[in-house]
Amino acid sequence: MIENLLSSDFLKIKRKGFWLLAFLGPFGVVALQMVNYGVRKDYLLQQSNDDWGYYLGNVQSFTPLALVLGIAILTSFMASIENETNAWKQLIALPVTKMGVYLSKFTVLACLLLFSSILLMVFTLAFGLVLDLGSVVPYLDIVQYSFYPFLASLPILALQLWVSTVSQNQGIPITVGILGFILTYSAFFLPDWVIWKWPSLMNDANEPVQNVLLGVGVGCLLYVVGMIDFTRRDVK
Amino acid sequence: MLGLLQSEWFKLRKSKVLPILLSGPLVGFFVGFALRYEANELQGQEWYLTILYMNLTYALLFLPLITGVLAGVICRYEHQSGGWKQLLALPVSRGKVFVIKYMLMLLLVLLIQLLYLGTIIAVGAINGISEPFPIEVVWKSILGGWVATFPLLALQLWMSILFKSFAAPFAVNVILTLPSILVINSERFGPYYPWAQPFSMMYIGGNEGDVFFIPWEQLLTVVGGSFVLFFLGGFLYFQRKAA
Repeated sequence: MIENLLSSDFLKIKRKGFWLLAFLGPFGVVALQMVNYGVRKDYLLQQSNDDWGYYLGNVQSFTPLALVLGIAILTSFMASIENETNAWKQLIALPVTKMGVYLSKFTVLACLLLFSSILLMVFTLAFGLVLDLGSVVPYLDIVQYSFYPFLASLPILALQLWVSTVSQNQGIPITVGILGFILTYSAFFLPDWVIWKWPSLMNDANEPVQNVLLGVGVGCLLYVVGMIDFTRRDVK
Repeated sequence: MLGLLQSEWFKLRKSKVLPILLSGPLVGFFVGFALRYEANELQGQEWYLTILYMNLTYALLFLPLITGVLAGVICRYEHQSGGWKQLLALPVSRGKVFVIKYMLMLLLVLLIQLLYLGTIIAVGAINGISEPFPIEVVWKSILGGWVATFPLLALQLWMSILFKSFAAPFAVNVILTLPSILVINSERFGPYYPWAQPFSMMYIGGNEGDVFFIPWEQLLTVVGGSFVLFFLGGFLYFQRKAA
């Protein structure tokens, strides 16, 4: 059943701009550094002895921001596919479980974000090589900086998907997304338990893996809570 | 014209717009209290620093982003089940519909700005700032921020009429707003980027001599110019749009 739901959901998002948005996120993050390094490369290279590390830090300063807003946009977009044509009722009337429907939406969104993370890794590495930042390329760091924020932001994905699917007015989930984005932007001032701090990979212990583990754990928890609420609601 | 305004107002009241308006003060309080201790360290400049910090996040990111949500909300009823057709079948001109929707958005942003002004005063009172409130500077900043959103609102209205879904126009908004974080650091490009203008016009350390915190030429060319471009673009697009 779930394979059919997934293939129908992948079909629904075709030619609607989902993949374009998933491309634009990582591209934009690296493109901002292209402009940044294009305008003042000499100045930026003087800032540190570890040019690769400094460059990755610059990229990472925008990754969580794009990720959090991207999640808000994609989840709302996903919900509006069904909302626009009042298709929820028709979808649920099919011989599928509501849990399956919810799982399928979540999986498609997670795939889109995974695709973004892979692109982020490729773009980061490619532009880093173009900049010629030194012969020792920190491959492991690039992989971590590309995939850790995604894994740490799973709770936000679960929360946003829940809010968008149960909201009639998509202004509400987008506003929630903006507020979460403001929190992520201020991550430095937040205590470690705030989920919007996690994509920034900052914490008191200075241990990014902690955010990843918390993200996956709490993400699953919030996903289950959202799914149970979705199955118990009346579909309008 | 009055009937049109009334009907728009009525639709708005049923659109759960209040939580969206209240998100402005929420951001203000959050930033105001998150930076509480830093502001207390410097005597004699408490108001100045409090407002400077609060405005940074609010004007740079929140204000430009929320314009997209408001535009989406204002076109929501029309995008549902052929609402454009019903609205335009009435004896109203398309131009008037566009202008009324735009004016209502201006009003909403003004409301958000005034709520934010209240938030600044409340944050100051709770943090126990005893200095006199720099009312003139703050008014300049509040109204300046409002004026700076004029072109952004025009573009977002255009995009919201163009796209059926809520998320697509908001995505345009995000793509244009995020670069501001870098752009404001640049003396060369900062003055020319419309999405950075809410920040510049609310930045209380800016140019004191003029009516607002940016020079007149910049206000007229960048804010005014982009406003004319986006407003006319949206206006003309709406005239030709198939309902």
